Amino acid sequence: MSVIELNNINKYFGSGVSKVHVLHDINFSADRGELILVVGPSGSGKSTFLTIAGGLQTPTSGEVSVEGKSMAKLSTAQRDKLRLNQIGFVLQSYSLVPYLKVKEQFDFVNKVKRQGNLNQAELKELLVQLGIENLTNKFPGELSGGQTQRVAIARALFANPDIVLADEPTAALDSARVAEVGKLFKELAKTRDKAVVVVTHDVRLMEFADKTYQIMDGKMTQATNKQPAK
Amino acid sequence: MYLALKEIRHEKLRYGLIISMIVLIAYLIFILTGLAFGLAGENSQAVDSWHAKSIVLNKDSNVSLTQSVITTDQAKDAKLSSKEAVIGSTPVVAKHKGKEKVSASFIGAKKSQFIINDLKISAGRKARGNHEVVVDQKFKDDGYKLGDKVTLNSFNDQYQIVGFTKNAKLNVAPVIYGTIPSWKHLRAMEGVPVVGSAIVSKNAKYHAKDGHLKTYSISYFISKLPGYSAENTTFGFMIGFLMIISLIIIAVFLYILTMQALPIYAVLRAQGIPARTLVSTITSQSLILMVAGLVIGAVLTAATASVIPIGVPMSFNLPVLTWISIGLLIMGFIGSAIPAQKIATVDPVKVIGG
Ligand SMILES: Nc1ncnc2c1ncn2[C@@H]1O[C@H](COP(=O)(O)OP(=O)(O)O)[C@@H](O)[C@H]1O
Ligand SMILES: [Mg+2]
Repeated sequence: MSVIELNNINKYFGSGVSKVHVLHDINFSADRGELILVVGPSGSGKSTFLTIAGGLQTPTSGEVSVEGKSMAKLSTAQRDKLRLNQIGFVLQSYSLVPYLKVKEQFDFVNKVKRQGNLNQAELKELLVQLGIENLTNKFPGELSGGQTQRVAIARALFANPDIVLADEPTAALDSARVAEVGKLFKELAKTRDKAVVVVTHDVRLMEFADKTYQIMDGKMTQATNKQPAK
Repeated sequence: MYLALKEIRHEKLRYGLIISMIVLIAYLIFILTGLAFGLAGENSQAVDSWHAKSIVLNKDSNVSLTQSVITTDQAKDAKLSSKEAVIGSTPVVAKHKGKEKVSASFIGAKKSQFIINDLKISAGRKARGNHEVVVDQKFKDDGYKLGDKVTLNSFNDQYQIVGFTKNAKLNVAPVIYGTIPSWKHLRAMEGVPVVGSAIVSKNAKYHAKDGHLKTYSISYFISKLPGYSAENTTFGFMIGFLMIISLIIIAVFLYILTMQALPIYAVLRAQGIPARTLVSTITSQSLILMVAGLVIGAVLTAATASVIPIGVPMSFNLPVLTWISIGLLIMGFIGSAIPAQKIATVDPVKVIGG
């Protein structure tokens, strides 16, 4: 069973003459261990897709389900909980609290979500894997773009979610860093058994994806279908 | 609480500025309240020291002690127990050659009744005859000593100061305690059938049984002292306005800080952090700022009180200051309401993919 599934999703914004059809009959699913890329130009509906998948907004029609449970049936509080426990967001910016040191970003998660997070040894291992184990006493303002993005990834993975949703995670990075992040996502999906969904206009990430969808004017098509390596 | 403290610690300058504003306001409110109570005290100290519950005045006196006269005829049915005392009051100017003139309130009372009986003497003794008086400590501050003889108004009679008493002020003027016959003399009413200006009683329901006389509660009587209500209303308004100013300052600061931090709150909401946790961050920040401001303000006030000159009437009433502090805390709480509302309703979608 796919860990997240979107069935026949349509999304309209506005009404009357200004009504826009942003997502057309989207069908999408992601499995654990996969890095799935959704590539499309700016304004094609990527962020709308991702926020619907993450339960931040509701589709006009269609159904989103996580681990087989329909999101439409959840209350706001239950949806908060689902995001806290099962979904990790990695965003282009602002992912970190500016006045918390790197290690405090994790402490804060521990205060809000009291169980199911990585323990100190696991966190250490993750930080080493991401190459940021020496940055724990720094504030986000003291980090470079690449370091910030890796800390944000660590922050998302710390809560040990089933799904990682990333929106333009490479926007601020140069090619070398892009390749690094691409490799990292692919590796994390494998080693940590997560479904990693990345929406981006950055085609440089495509070579790392297990599956790539293309989105254009709100219509999604599967571009390549590599078999996920076991 | 975690985020609240971390943010304050990280943004010391910003929050330091807000706290210093609150310190100034709290300090101003505390000092003003001290002055208000100091002045109010000097209006009514003497009356307060009697611990009376009611006062009987001539009903045509407009609740003014100095305007009221009770005749022998009006008083003939009034039963005086040990809880009642007759007083005669008149404003006087006391003089002693070579010393400053002192405007004072003369209060004549009977030795056998509770006002003189209960009078606390801080130095010297109580008066024995018509030409002896006990005066408020203020005379001592003005250079008068036990044994000094003063003349009152333009009369030639000399009154010897035989004792001092503390906290005896009426209408901001120091009190001179003398006898009823001296009072009659000062009012030029010798031979006139009057008993005094008023009957004060420790019984709230005391009734003098004469149509010309009326019983008032002491608190009402004090509120009718000349200038008393106007003064208190003025101070009340100033303190009220300062409260509102503090509310606006904290609300505006928190609002600006919150609006700047809204994208962060939005991301935290996207990450599933409950709105409650984030709202409690802003409310606890507001309360932390207020408490810090109040504590520093209180320390400054205490420091000021210890160096203030004796002549400045200041009195710090702890329960009232506590209520004012609680009031300011409530202002802080209200001030965080709008930012809290912004945080609670922030839409994470707005900051994602922007
Ligand atoms: N809240 C909204 N109201 C109206 N139109 C919106 C709203 N959000 C997004 N859109 C429109 O939907 C389209 C897709 O937006 P978005 O999902 O952000 O694209 P992408 O992330 O691919 O750049 C755009 O044309 C955008 O203007
Ligand atoms: Mg976008």
